[in-house]
Formats: sequence, C-alpha cells, structure tokens
Amino acid sequence: MKMMWSQGANPAELRPKGAHWIYNPYVLLALRFMLAAVFIYAAVHKIGRPLAFADEIHTYGVVDYGPPLYIMAIVLPWIELLCGISLVTGLCVRGSALILLGLNAMFLVVIAKKTAGFVHGGTPFMKVYFDCGCGFGATYAWKKLLEDAVYLIVAAVLVAAPLHRFIVPLRRRLP
Amino acid sequence: MKTLLSAVLQAVAVLAAAFVIGFAFNALSRNGISPTKTPVNVPVASDSTQAKEGGIKIITLEEARQAVESGVAVIDARRKADYDEGHIPRAMLLDYYDMGTYKDRVLPHLSTDQLIMVYCSEVTCEDSELLAKELYSLGFKKLLVFKGGFAEWSAAHLAVEKGAQ
Repeated sequence: MKMMWSQGANPAELRPKGAHWIYNPYVLLALRFMLAAVFIYAAVHKIGRPLAFADEIHTYGVVDYGPPLYIMAIVLPWIELLCGISLVTGLCVRGSALILLGLNAMFLVVIAKKTAGFVHGGTPFMKVYFDCGCGFGATYAWKKLLEDAVYLIVAAVLVAAPLHRFIVPLRRRLP
Repeated sequence: MKTLLSAVLQAVAVLAAAFVIGFAFNALSRNGISPTKTPVNVPVASDSTQAKEGGIKIITLEEARQAVESGVAVIDARRKADYDEGHIPRAMLLDYYDMGTYKDRVLPHLSTDQLIMVYCSEVTCEDSELLAKELYSLGFKKLLVFKGGFAEWSAAHLAVEKGAQ
C-alpha cells in the first residue's frame, strides 16, 4: 500500500496515514528523550574512569584483559553520550538509535549469559543480583533484563519510524 | 532502503566521533589508560616465601597483622570516603581507580625492594590484587595481598585509624 503523508500544521498529524500511534511525532520525541536520559546518565558515570569500567566489562568473561577491552572501556561511554546528545538535539537520530539498538542487543546477551551462570550455580533466577557495570549500581538481573528489553524496543521504534520530526536536517532542502 | 543506508551512515559518523573524542579525552585525562596495555603476568601464590622472591603473596589476617607490626608499607586500594571512615594503621591511600590522583603522592614513599601490603574492602573485592599487579608492573616486586581486606581486619577488632591521609 502506498503511504500517504498528511500535511497539516499540527505535528501530530505529520505521520503516515494509518501508521501506528507510536509513530506520532510527540510520542517519538518522548521516546527519544527517555532513551537519551538513560544513556547520558549511564555514560557520565563511566567517563573518566576507564580502568574501573574495563574491570566491570571483564567480569562478564566475554573479553579478556588486553587492547580490545581497554579500547571498549575508553570509547563505549562516549558512544553512549554522543547517541544521547544526538537524540536530544535531533542530529543523526536514526543513526544513534541504530547504534543503541545494537548496544542494547549486546547488553541483553551478556547480561543473560552472566545471569545464566548464577542460575547454573544454584541461585534462583528472581534472586540473581549484581552490578551490571551499566552505571546504575547493583540490581536484580530480571529487572535489568526487562529494562534493556524496553530500551531495545524503543531504539527499534526510533529506527523503524517512517518519519522523524523535531530533528536537524542534514541536507539543505532545494527551493 | 535509502532510510536504512542513511541510518548506517549516521551511525558510522557518530561512532567515528566517539572514537576521536574518547581517545582525545583519555589522552588528556589523569586517569587515562593505555589502550595497548598488556596484562602483567605476575606469579601469585599463597605459600611461604613467594613475595620475598618477587611476586604477589596472598596473606591471611594473622599474617597481615604481623606484617603491619613489622613495619611493611601498607596500601589501601579503596575509595577516599572508605579510607576516611577507617583504615589499617599507617596505610596510604592509593585508590586503584584514581591512580592519576594518588600515584605521585604515594609512590615516592615506597622503595622497590621493600615489602608492600595491599588491601581493599573485603574478600570479594579484586582491587587489591589488581593494584598489586599494577605496582608489580611499576617495579615493586615484593607484594602482599591481604584478601580479607578492611572488613576482616575491623571484624577482628584490630587497631583502626580514622580520618584523611
């Protein structure tokens, strides 16, 4: 079906006709701000302490001590911060959402793997409790998995949205 | 398809910016780390004379008490707030995660051929061992790690000092 685009002055109408309510420009803006707040907060707690963050990543047992781990510890907080700033300012919204989609998918996998290790060791799933190194302190694993799943869905919605409003256009429009 | 391609290009631009800013900040930060840093292979043991020959020896509470009494250098690898609340007598604060701040204050007081005891909060914390490895890579080869940490020390009602360094 060919998409129709409404042209009303109200931004709420500026979405593909028949598109899901979640693609309402105000809803997308709220989702952008929500995701940005989470990742800016997380980044600020990691920037400036790469050694500590490297140790936190190392506890997942995925990357051993060495250049890949240290590069990750240096760069990852800045990726989160820049993605958050992009979502707030409206510059590179879809690209930042795409990065956060990938990051959240990765976080889900490693947290699930670590949780599985605890469960395998005899801890009941609902009682698995650890500091994921995400910048929010220790929490229950089920809660963290649920949160990350929500962020994953929000990032996916931002990537898939047919149209974003309140953004900085990267190309000058022809008259 | 065009939208996806544009998203990928934007993502590449954001990632490139993060790499540049991240590495620049790391180079200027006092707590910056070398990305090419390789792990130090240090002999770690809990038996007799390991530390005297060079390496890291894991010690018990009793051995830690004797070491403190015999006058070895004592390093507290915890954060400043924890240190100020209470620490092992004569311990010098060297927060493992804020080496840039404390390294220049503490290292001049140590000599490479003396015994150095390192501890952190409790048996589950790894900071004492990680700091000991860091010190080893800096040339301090005779290291004792008190794994029980301050929790075990204070639980045994041994002497504690309070306040800033």
